[in-house]
Amino acid sequence: MNADKKEVTLLLIEDDDIDAMEITRALRKMNVGNSLIRACDGLEGLELLRNGTVPSPYIILLDLQMPRLNGLEFLQEIRQDPQLDKSIVFVLTTSKSDEDITASYKKQIAGYFVKNEVGEDFLEIVKLLRGYWKIVLFPES
Amino acid sequence: MDQSAPKIIDAQSERNKLIYWSQLHGFQWFILSLSTLLMIVAWYIATEQVNKRVSERFERESLQVIELVKERMQLYEHALWGAVAHVDASEESITDTQWRNYSNSLRIDETYPGINGLGLIYNIKPEQLNLFTQQHKITRANFKLHPTHEANEYWPITFIEPLLPNQQAVGLDMAFEANRYSGVKKARDTGLAQLTGPITLIQDSKKTPGFLFFAPFYQKNSPHDTIKTRRQSIEGVAYAPFIMHKLISGTLAFDKRHVTLSISDNGNTLYNDVETIDVNQIDPNPLFTEDKNVNFYGREWNFTISSNLAFRTTSASNQPYIILGGGLLINFLLFALFIVLSRANKQAIKYADDITRELKINTQRLVKSNQDLEQFAYVASHDLKSPLNAIQKLVNWITEDCEEILPDSSKEHLALLKSRSGRMNKLLDDLLDYARIGRNEYKPQAFDLAATAQAIFSLLDHPEGFSLSVEKQILLLPKTPLEIVLRNLISNAIKHHDKAIGHISITYKKIENMHKIYVQDDGPGIPNELFEKALEMFQTLRPRDKVEGSGMGLSLSKKTIEHYGGNLMIESDGVSGTTIIIMWPISLEQQH
Repeated sequence: MNADKKEVTLLLIEDDDIDAMEITRALRKMNVGNSLIRACDGLEGLELLRNGTVPSPYIILLDLQMPRLNGLEFLQEIRQDPQLDKSIVFVLTTSKSDEDITASYKKQIAGYFVKNEVGEDFLEIVKLLRGYWKIVLFPES
Repeated sequence: MDQSAPKIIDAQSERNKLIYWSQLHGFQWFILSLSTLLMIVAWYIATEQVNKRVSERFERESLQVIELVKERMQLYEHALWGAVAHVDASEESITDTQWRNYSNSLRIDETYPGINGLGLIYNIKPEQLNLFTQQHKITRANFKLHPTHEANEYWPITFIEPLLPNQQAVGLDMAFEANRYSGVKKARDTGLAQLTGPITLIQDSKKTPGFLFFAPFYQKNSPHDTIKTRRQSIEGVAYAPFIMHKLISGTLAFDKRHVTLSISDNGNTLYNDVETIDVNQIDPNPLFTEDKNVNFYGREWNFTISSNLAFRTTSASNQPYIILGGGLLINFLLFALFIVLSRANKQAIKYADDITRELKINTQRLVKSNQDLEQFAYVASHDLKSPLNAIQKLVNWITEDCEEILPDSSKEHLALLKSRSGRMNKLLDDLLDYARIGRNEYKPQAFDLAATAQAIFSLLDHPEGFSLSVEKQILLLPKTPLEIVLRNLISNAIKHHDKAIGHISITYKKIENMHKIYVQDDGPGIPNELFEKALEMFQTLRPRDKVEGSGMGLSLSKKTIEHYGGNLMIESDGVSGTTIIIMWPISLEQQH
């Protein structure tokens, strides 16, 4: 409980600039001041986590379809890494396929969001995340 | 897939039938063997008939031979009894002149062909011998009895005519030799015409077999009804010598008969064709041979009659062989027919297999190209979506961010850009759906048509004035594809309606093995000539700016239904209302 006042960092692993931009816009719109770090693919995300660029506590927002190291491979990596295996991950993707959903939850994700083409979905997601880190306890890093 | 299965089974069973008929089976072999059997039976019966006929003919011919000999012997017997009658009728003793006259008037060589002569033999007791000899020496100086013998009586040949060929026989005493003696005694004792056993006539220079024929005469006015009285009253016998081969050749000319003949008496040969005729005419293995004993005047003659070559030639019948040959020909033709039929079937199978193989290859190619196309459509529409999404987002942001600074015309352009990209999005969605049709196979499940249709209707964005009526009906169908179809059809009905108030009615009928779902609206209708166009991909009947639509709805529905073996039909008068008929095959589980 002593860490609760610490600001939560958001790690966005997303290859599409516009999607990343939309998240940023939504955060700004909702007046969320938490810091956001972006990685362009799984490999970059892993590097950022391992070299300590991302301060704890953090929440990862993960896309599935990415070059180099995709979302599911990324999940595989962090769940094997004793330093990172407790990370809280939300998946944010265009894929509605059952296989992807099941495979993701098997890697202990906290939630699975489908990016809908247009609209206010991202606002809803940001709203949810804001509520989430306000009331959820984070593991000790 | 379910629909084509029975056809494949049909074709397979047809093919099996062809294979069955392309081989010779028990059935054909049965017909062939039956026909062979019939042929053999017919041949056998014909052969039997011919044999019977030939055998009867032989029987007739051999009987005829014996009858002819019998007849001839009776003729000679008559001659002898004629001589006896002549003797009995004469008041005085017969003289040689008298005998000659008698014989001449009989003309024996013409009347009795085959006879060697006709003569008289007197029975002379030893005490009468001298008187007898002297009496005859009066007219015939060299008349004497010969040869000498031990017997107590004499039976000299006294007269014989014609004299010339029988000269040596005159005076020959029958008692000198057992055969002649017993013959003459038998005639005396029985009072009947009797024969001797086989002898050689002394007048026959060739020494061939012959016999003598006797008929006894007794003293006039003396009784001769018992052996005793006959012996007492015997005076002599009329006699005729015979050379056997002369008798037979006179009686039975060889070229007029089809049998060879041999006659024997008590094992001694009397006559044999072999000795007189050409060997070439004798059948070494005669078809028939008959052995028959016939009683002839105190002797038993054994006739051995065999068919000869002439018989074989005339009795040969080719009728059974014609039957056999005809039967074989029919059998052969039958066999050939079966072979031809089976070969035709084999060719049919080969042809069908070739065609099937070609079709399979073509089908595989077609399936492959269809899959490629679907894969392409899927990938293309999927990959096109994300840049489109980005464009839409960017347009939204510009609209939001520049609300204050943009001129109205630019705002209008942005709105158009938004709507066009929205349309493109819809197009890509429908294209994706279309490409996905074959990707998932949905199993039939039970659901209520009314609930499903109402749910779709309520989810669709429809104006206030629209209503949907649908009866409750539990169906067993793949639910998801039917939902896609219904959604498209209901959406079309709403979208293309020309009035503010509209009604859509969904009704159901079960016809034979088809579910029929009628989706009827009271909209403007579709003219007949546009039915086909309405079903084509990306075709809209009205400009897209008037009615938003990808033009995929109907073709997507049609393709979905057809994928499950069904069909989609349009019914409309082109003025008011359209009915789309969904025909969906009833799944096999439900039928049974």
